[in-house]
Amino acid sequence: MVIVMNVKSVLIGLMCWLPATLLANNIDLSTVPPREGVQLTIYNSEDITLVRETRLVSFKRGMNPLQFSWANTLIDPTSVALRFPDSGNWLELLDTTYPHDKQQMLYWNVEAERAGVARVEISYFTSGLTWSADYTAISNQAEDAMHLNGFVRIRNKSGEDYEDAEVRLVVGTINLVEKIAQLARIQMNQVGKLKSEVRNEFKKRAARMMMEAASMDRAMPATASSPKQIIKQGLSEYFIYTIEGRETIPTGWSKRLRSFEGRDVPMSVEYRYRPTQYGDQLVRFYLLKNDQPSNLGESPLPNGRVQVLRENSVGGLSLIVSRDIQYVPIGDDIELNLGTDPRVVFELTKLKVWRDDIWMRVNGGSVYHRIGDAALRLELNSTVGGWNEHVLYAQRIRNNSGKPIQVKVRRSFPGDVVFKSNFGPTLHDYRTVEYAHALKVGDHAALLYEVITRNGRNQKKHQLELMAARVQLPAWRKDSSGVKR
Amino acid sequence: MCKRLPFYLFGLLLYMSYQTAEARIKLITLPVRDRVEIQLDHPDQTLVEEERTVPLSAGLNQVDFSWANTRIDPQSIVFRILKGDSRAEVNVLSVSYPPGERALVWNVSSGIATTARVRISYVIAALTRHYDYQLITSHREKSLTLMQYLNIRNGANEVFGDSWIWPGFGKQLLKSVGINQTRRVLIDKYQNIPVNKTYTVDPVKHGWLIKAEQKLLVPMHYVLKNDTRHGLGRAAIPRGKVRIFQEDGNGGRVFLGEDWGATTPLDEEMALFVGVAKDIVVKRTIEQNKQKRLSGMLYSHDVVIKYEIENFKDIPVTLTVIEHPRQVRDQLRRRSEREVEWRIGSKTSFKDGPDSDKTTLDKLVFKVDLPARSKSGAAHKQIRRLHLQLNNEW
Repeated sequence: MVIVMNVKSVLIGLMCWLPATLLANNIDLSTVPPREGVQLTIYNSEDITLVRETRLVSFKRGMNPLQFSWANTLIDPTSVALRFPDSGNWLELLDTTYPHDKQQMLYWNVEAERAGVARVEISYFTSGLTWSADYTAISNQAEDAMHLNGFVRIRNKSGEDYEDAEVRLVVGTINLVEKIAQLARIQMNQVGKLKSEVRNEFKKRAARMMMEAASMDRAMPATASSPKQIIKQGLSEYFIYTIEGRETIPTGWSKRLRSFEGRDVPMSVEYRYRPTQYGDQLVRFYLLKNDQPSNLGESPLPNGRVQVLRENSVGGLSLIVSRDIQYVPIGDDIELNLGTDPRVVFELTKLKVWRDDIWMRVNGGSVYHRIGDAALRLELNSTVGGWNEHVLYAQRIRNNSGKPIQVKVRRSFPGDVVFKSNFGPTLHDYRTVEYAHALKVGDHAALLYEVITRNGRNQKKHQLELMAARVQLPAWRKDSSGVKR
Repeated sequence: MCKRLPFYLFGLLLYMSYQTAEARIKLITLPVRDRVEIQLDHPDQTLVEEERTVPLSAGLNQVDFSWANTRIDPQSIVFRILKGDSRAEVNVLSVSYPPGERALVWNVSSGIATTARVRISYVIAALTRHYDYQLITSHREKSLTLMQYLNIRNGANEVFGDSWIWPGFGKQLLKSVGINQTRRVLIDKYQNIPVNKTYTVDPVKHGWLIKAEQKLLVPMHYVLKNDTRHGLGRAAIPRGKVRIFQEDGNGGRVFLGEDWGATTPLDEEMALFVGVAKDIVVKRTIEQNKQKRLSGMLYSHDVVIKYEIENFKDIPVTLTVIEHPRQVRDQLRRRSEREVEWRIGSKTSFKDGPDSDKTTLDKLVFKVDLPARSKSGAAHKQIRRLHLQLNNEW
């Protein structure tokens, strides 16, 4: 006789009154104690979830066989563990048996000093339960404040329904190498040399240790009429999101809950040109901060897709972009790359090139003569051995966005280079110049600068040097001012 | 007005709690669309927003949304409860996604039985748009009219009846677009735009009419400047095909051809090709190439390019002459990646010098005013020279 209760795939059965030696009988009587509680701790960086479930089991005095099976699930059989968290010493797990003829099943023999009811805790790792973060960011029409909603979405493809489960989500990448090394008592650089099965065993134990602390607290009861609070707490290098109350997530389903809401988050707009980061284009950014003054900062923002929209002039929303963002720690900047803005024209034009300080190398030897020196002879068998090349550029920017804008530019120049201008650039690094320019509505700017590259024997270093000086337009230009509006 | 399709369901499961989600007896209300907006301001994607009035019971409610046989991006769906429409505190608690279905269920709580106005926004594929234009010039080519059409094609497998369509500029348009329909809508009409017809020679971009005779091709363009001073300037002009007509003076129109108009931001120019001018003849010859050795392998060049220009038209025109110093150097010496160090020499005979707005290191732009041919039919031949000094070449 089997009494089946409301569990689907994972089943724990108490083989009633049968001694362990009689388990092979074909006629069995079992009872199925229901789950009293289940807690899921889900990582987003690896497909691994720690499940801890508790059940109330009545034990008789003496030997009590327990059967645990997990047909059609993704449970790791080697990770299944049984504990008696609050039963003192009157219960003892004697042995665990994996029957040869049945997959996804095991037996525990539990010795009870007396008859009684005890809470048992079964924990195991399972795959197929994952979570991810995503965000909806809606800017106001003026683009100075944002309504930012964060969500977590839990997907259950584990094969098991988890009803009324306490759900904890771990933010951060699990680096288990150190823990594995500690457990294996080896150096960290030796971890990779462990056999895979040994390494996996240590990995599971390490993950269990890490999850232990995360699963101590109980989730708060939910109120039915308000969105569930997601409690955020730091844990070592990780962050735990605990979803208020309990959730039912049947297998095959996914569920999305709001993890935070930031209203009236102050933000600014910035245009950036950084070809090494964003390609050869001017891109627009929404900039905000993950901190409390910005009505955010409760927790780090995990990696996830953000959909950026803006309230438009006709009372609806305009889609701006949908793209992934990387993890944002508390207090750090949130930079939303919106892509190019066709209303802002950004083009670099070369206006003039000239060369000077030209040195001729005579007969391929070590003798050089400089062009222009009084003593220069017309050396027929000579080649150019060194020169400076001057290039005059106009960085043209036209702002038709309808709002004042701030443009920040970074450009890199390899070699021995002088950057000459009068608009106050700074060095971002040894070969990258950085400058900013503000444009009013409708402004047309042409930032003039001259780049002097020392080549051949003239090159003495690999360093960009800034020179503050007015740059002259070529003679054919009617407008000779440095910055045109 | 709502057009509900079998494939497209928006249902409210009344009085159902989480525990009864699998119940077999369901009562489903189907809130109609109160308003649909189609936002076309993103260059590639279409955002649809629909408003519905949803009845809610006190407690927990499930609101189903499904989109079978359409290509809504489920990641893009935004559900907003509009403020000011309900006395009750209405909250979206969570969203559930059933397996194997294009559907979701919003779990919504309400303090009292009420109705809530909600707005659902989503990105949908196959509801596409493109633009086309009609350009009509006056008989004497003094002014022109530009008509801008929005073509919205509905391959999204969903009816959008009486929808407010917004191209991203101008006003919203109330139109309906049925399944597999394409609607072409006049969205703007610009009138009395002054005609700027250009005649250009450019040996690199436009090439030769007869290379053996060193005669350059002279393409004609209508150039529209997208600013208010030139009758435009309301918004960026999206890319699209432009069909060009000219009034024939007898109440009819003559089709002159068509060209693709590039996306034209404010203050930028759109150039539309309208054919080759056969009655403007430009012969280009390299009249002089003096090479001077500065030292060893280092040279300078003194180059004079001569243009013999004749206008056989009955009207005066302005010719734009474009020259590329790099191409000149590559032709006279050899191809090199090195930039050309050039200077305009004293023998240059273009009256006003280079166009300072359009000239760059790589492109010299000059203008030449050409008078109409004489009454006898003869064209006045004009000679212009460009003197280029190429320095420090090796």
